[in-house]
Amino acid sequence: MLAIEQLSVSYGSVRALTDVDLEIRGEGLLHGIIGPNGAGKSTLLDAICGRRRPSSGRVRYCGEDITRRSISWRRRQGMARSFQRTSIFQDLTVHEQLKLVAQHLGDDRLDDVIEVMDLGGYLEQKAGRIAYGVQRRIDVALALIGRPRLLLMDEPGAGLSATETLRLFQHVRDLVRERRIAAVVVEHDVDAVFACCDMVTVLDLGRHLATGTPDVIRADHRVIAAYLGTAA
Amino acid sequence: MTDDLHAPATATVGGPLSRLSLGIVVGLIGLGAGAIVPTYLASDFVLRLGSEGLLLGLLALSVAFLMNQAGLVALGAASIYGGAGYLFAIGMSDWGLTPTVALCVAFVILLAYAAILGALIVRTKPLAFMMLTLAAGEMISHAVLLEGLRDYTGGADGLVVRVNGSVLGVDAVRFTDPAQFWSFAWIVTVLVGLALWAIARSRLGAVLRAIRENEERMRFSGFNTFVPRLIGYVLVNVVAAVAGFLHVLNAGFVSPESLGLFVSTNTLVAALIGGIAGSLGPILGGLIFSFAQDEFGARGLTQLLTGVAIVLFIVVFPRGVVGGLSSLSRRLGWRREAS
Amino acid sequence: MIALLIANSLALASLLIMLSSGLALIYGLRDVINFGHGAIYMLGAYLGYTIALVGGFWLALLLVPILLALLGIAFEYLALRPLQRRSHIEVALVTLGLGIILGQIIIYIYGGEARSVDAPKILSGSVTVLHLSYPVYRLFLIVMGLGSCVLLALWLRYTSSGLYVRAVSQDPSVARMMGINADRLSLLVTSLSTAFAGIAGVLAGPYLSVDPGMDVVMIVNCLIIVVIGGTGSIGGAIIAALLFGFVQVAGSVFLPNLAALVPYILLMVVLLIAPGGIGRGRVLN
Repeated sequence: MLAIEQLSVSYGSVRALTDVDLEIRGEGLLHGIIGPNGAGKSTLLDAICGRRRPSSGRVRYCGEDITRRSISWRRRQGMARSFQRTSIFQDLTVHEQLKLVAQHLGDDRLDDVIEVMDLGGYLEQKAGRIAYGVQRRIDVALALIGRPRLLLMDEPGAGLSATETLRLFQHVRDLVRERRIAAVVVEHDVDAVFACCDMVTVLDLGRHLATGTPDVIRADHRVIAAYLGTAA
Repeated sequence: MTDDLHAPATATVGGPLSRLSLGIVVGLIGLGAGAIVPTYLASDFVLRLGSEGLLLGLLALSVAFLMNQAGLVALGAASIYGGAGYLFAIGMSDWGLTPTVALCVAFVILLAYAAILGALIVRTKPLAFMMLTLAAGEMISHAVLLEGLRDYTGGADGLVVRVNGSVLGVDAVRFTDPAQFWSFAWIVTVLVGLALWAIARSRLGAVLRAIRENEERMRFSGFNTFVPRLIGYVLVNVVAAVAGFLHVLNAGFVSPESLGLFVSTNTLVAALIGGIAGSLGPILGGLIFSFAQDEFGARGLTQLLTGVAIVLFIVVFPRGVVGGLSSLSRRLGWRREAS
Repeated sequence: MIALLIANSLALASLLIMLSSGLALIYGLRDVINFGHGAIYMLGAYLGYTIALVGGFWLALLLVPILLALLGIAFEYLALRPLQRRSHIEVALVTLGLGIILGQIIIYIYGGEARSVDAPKILSGSVTVLHLSYPVYRLFLIVMGLGSCVLLALWLRYTSSGLYVRAVSQDPSVARMMGINADRLSLLVTSLSTAFAGIAGVLAGPYLSVDPGMDVVMIVNCLIIVVIGGTGSIGGAIIAALLFGFVQVAGSVFLPNLAALVPYILLMVVLLIAPGGIGRGRVLN
């Protein structure tokens, strides 16, 4: 579904990603991306969704080269994302913002999203005045509208406790299986990723280190070295 | 389908439908009474001041709409307002067009200008947008004074505009009569106010407000965020052009002052005085400004007070007269439904 | 001819650098564009005119920046700080209003006609460099302009306050986490910025005219420069000021009919090809 070929991203003279190759296949699979701080996880997500122009390399989506497509085009083709720093419409009510996006994307099953993200009790409240945990769910709900085929999530557990993160992950995994979505999740909570993801990719210092099932990755000594390296 | 999102400031009373019908009834009564009653009660002098206030109110409507819906402050309203007069005059005297054709040609040129400028500047962030509209406004007021265009624009003296015959089917003489012009200006202003009120409640308004709130998330929700803002920008410039045409038809001349920064800042002040949320505020603000200018202008204080008003209203009364009164009435418990 | 052109554009750019780098500094720190900057420059020019009449040009060049630095402190405490929680647009509008008030007070005191200031004896007349005769005063302007550039660069590069300014300008949230006291920094930067506007005002006296419209002309020029430079980027502002000066001077030589529009054409061209400006600022995109 998504193929990343020789992708490099630079911020000025600093290289954030170097020649990353990665393939995300399969519907109904949750793909986790982990790595120590500064590994380039968020940059990779930014490059996939069009927020950051790669300096070289390509992004293919369903076989098509979309490297130069706009963010909104990608979204209309079913590539949605949520944000690490909650990005919602603070001054609109929950229902107003969900409905606006649903109408635009032609999704007539908004109630599904509301139910899945358990937002039914907050519909008429202004998003900016709701508890942070609920705002995170609004953020994910905005990404779920329009039945996306590929869901990109940037640290969905940011600001949540370990149990909340784990619950959110299980939630997302169920959703992905049930709706046959492909999902890519960047997360620094390694435990949650190993517990819920079907595939795991490890980045280190802007390079692709390893990709495999959680069991394989867990046993990979290079991965352990990378994490120990930053811990030491 | 279009009333599912309301402007935050007004989403307090009643349901959308009752508010809509109430608005229509009040609007129709106001439209008729306001057009006729003052012409019997007020002197020509007062009517002239009132008409000037309405034209300023029209401009203020355009500025307030963009501020409230898109979060963008335009400091260049004058270039369209004055430009309308200049193009209309040049069309008739230099291109030999009939008044109606000259008006249409001028309108098309203004639309093209607004669209091109808008395409360049609506992408930028609000602060840069404000700086760029100021710069573009100054560009136009310099352009009119260019030596090479003196034959067309009359340089610093401006142009006397003689309209022979009728404009859009209305005898041009009628625009110069204070009472009849008041009625025209009133009807146009109220209709424009209603139209902008309706647009604010339409899908375009909802999209603009959402872009104002969080532009990036809108793109990540599949929206094109450039086109709606461009449409909004061109739309408010149409309103400014209408005000400019009315002004030149009434005054019979155009001067470089009509393009100047002070017209733009006066407009801003009128919008701030009345309050930018809704259509009532800017119109009221224009009228207040016009009568206040008559009071203080003779002593040369207008511009000083303009500056004072900007600071005062932003710092102390950011919601303007209308916003202030409505929250006051709410606090006194006149509207029970309000939260 | 070319040398003359470059010298003249450097002279103009000197004034523009002093003004627009001040604007860019405040923007970098506080995300506020001071629309009243032109009026502060105008105040500097008129104060300079008055002080020069009484005590001479040099005294004006010394006193005016001090007085305007005090004004900057008042501006920081009475406007910027109380309005910290307001949106940047609202603060910008307040500075616009304050600028109008200041400009109108100046016009009320000095009246509407233009004033002229004589350059001091040592700077009047011309000097011959490489067979070209050139006004001494303009050379002085260039020296002052380049001098302030160098000082600014040294300050930003080698002092701890300069480092903080760069840090905050690049990423306000990170800088805040590092425990940088943005308030104290902002006080320094605001007073520096108004002081430089004062110097520019005094220097403008013998070079341009001192008249009631000078504030609007200058603020518009500076806004164009700051946008072209990439708002908040000080290096960008300096380069843009040089470019602006050159385009303006060259325009008045080669396109005298269109000279007034040349800066705007430059602005539109830059917006078209590099919508973010030439520096790495934070405003446009």
